Amino acid sequence: MNIDEIEQELGVMQLSDSFFPTGIFATSNGLEYLFSQNKIHGMTDLAEMVKINIIQQIGPTDCIALADIFENSNEGNFDRIIQADNTLFATKSIKEIRDASVRSGIQLVKCVAEFVKDDKMLKQYQDSILEKKANGIFPVAFAICCNAMKIKKEKSMMMMLYGFSVAVVGAALRLGLIQHFEGQKIIHKIKPVIAQTIKENSNKSLSEMWQFAPQMDVIQMSHEKMDSKMFIT
Amino acid sequence: MTHIPRIGIGGPVGSGKSMLIERLVPMLAQKGYSVSIISNDVISKEDADRMRNNLATKRGLLPENLVIGLATGGCPHTAVREDPSMNLSVIEEMEAKHPDLDLIIIESGGDNITTTFSPILADYFIYIIDVAGGDKYPRKGGLGIESCDLLIINKIDLAPLVEADLEIMKRDALKIRKEKPFEFVNCKTDKGIMKVTEHIIHDVLFDAQPKSIIAQKV
Repeated sequence: MNIDEIEQELGVMQLSDSFFPTGIFATSNGLEYLFSQNKIHGMTDLAEMVKINIIQQIGPTDCIALADIFENSNEGNFDRIIQADNTLFATKSIKEIRDASVRSGIQLVKCVAEFVKDDKMLKQYQDSILEKKANGIFPVAFAICCNAMKIKKEKSMMMMLYGFSVAVVGAALRLGLIQHFEGQKIIHKIKPVIAQTIKENSNKSLSEMWQFAPQMDVIQMSHEKMDSKMFIT
Repeated sequence: MTHIPRIGIGGPVGSGKSMLIERLVPMLAQKGYSVSIISNDVISKEDADRMRNNLATKRGLLPENLVIGLATGGCPHTAVREDPSMNLSVIEEMEAKHPDLDLIIIESGGDNITTTFSPILADYFIYIIDVAGGDKYPRKGGLGIESCDLLIINKIDLAPLVEADLEIMKRDALKIRKEKPFEFVNCKTDKGIMKVTEHIIHDVLFDAQPKSIIAQKV
């Protein structure tokens, strides 16, 4: 591994660290509602929920948008980035998830722009958010920041899907649904799903974006309306 | 974008953070200051709902949409110190929509006596403890008690009931905080609250007049 590659790997570690301030530590993606209704039990159910989210929701939406950003960032096609931002924004039908995604995306851009000063696309995207021309939705912001930090497309997708899995498993730990070792077993078990999702979605275009997980949508909407909850939906 | 001065109010559960805000806001409003409140809570938005009801709905001291509740998911300390981005994001939205605000109050609780605010989030940090915890509390120290800009010791009326000696608390607070101020208060009766208000106006707002009054003069 040469010096540049080591620096890129360190960038992967930096952005993947839970210490990185993007405000997404408090999401459960509807898990808390399932738990409160006693509709989810143990490792197997939880792994299944993470899998459904990745295959039916995040893979065909967030991953496609992220991949598309990489292709168009390199070509300097900024209109396409705005299009990806708007299209992805429109797929987030649950308001709390949409708002959280935008807030964390904006904070991510703001933070990375503090130490990456020489990336034109990052600067342009940040300006567009300020001018209300872009929403700042997280997967698009994440793609632009990863690209600015010279992190490659597949690794960025890997980080996003891994981050999602860890967030849900972390929420399950805090809810007392599983124990620590079980959490790691789930993360290990989900690796092939992440790998397959990356393979299936890394070369698709925005027009191929879709999602279909109606039951998850209802669960997340129900969670959004809960009066007392530990997590943002 | 306008930077609106921000106060962080932290302290253990039940120490009187929300009650303090409910006492401070009317006094600030009476002087013409426009305030917004962000309340961080682990599992619910109950404190925010209560403050909205008491201060906005019933008394009209501020618009209802300026009391915001954030459910922080297990650790408000994380939200205000280690990763303040969730709060920062809300503040930035408010700064854009309500540049006429004079002050933003951010509330966050936690049993941990090291609960503190990130300097990037709060310009001024008030830590509140209560006498019912015993007169050992200031002596025990911790980042919150030692480093806050203003320490508030609440529920002084309970001192005789829990055999707490306020003189011991005063002695220890002076010793542990050196030159930094502290105030004894009773939020139930407003005792000491005016002094806290004066600290805020002087130390945070630098004795500036409310923006609404300045605008009228212009």
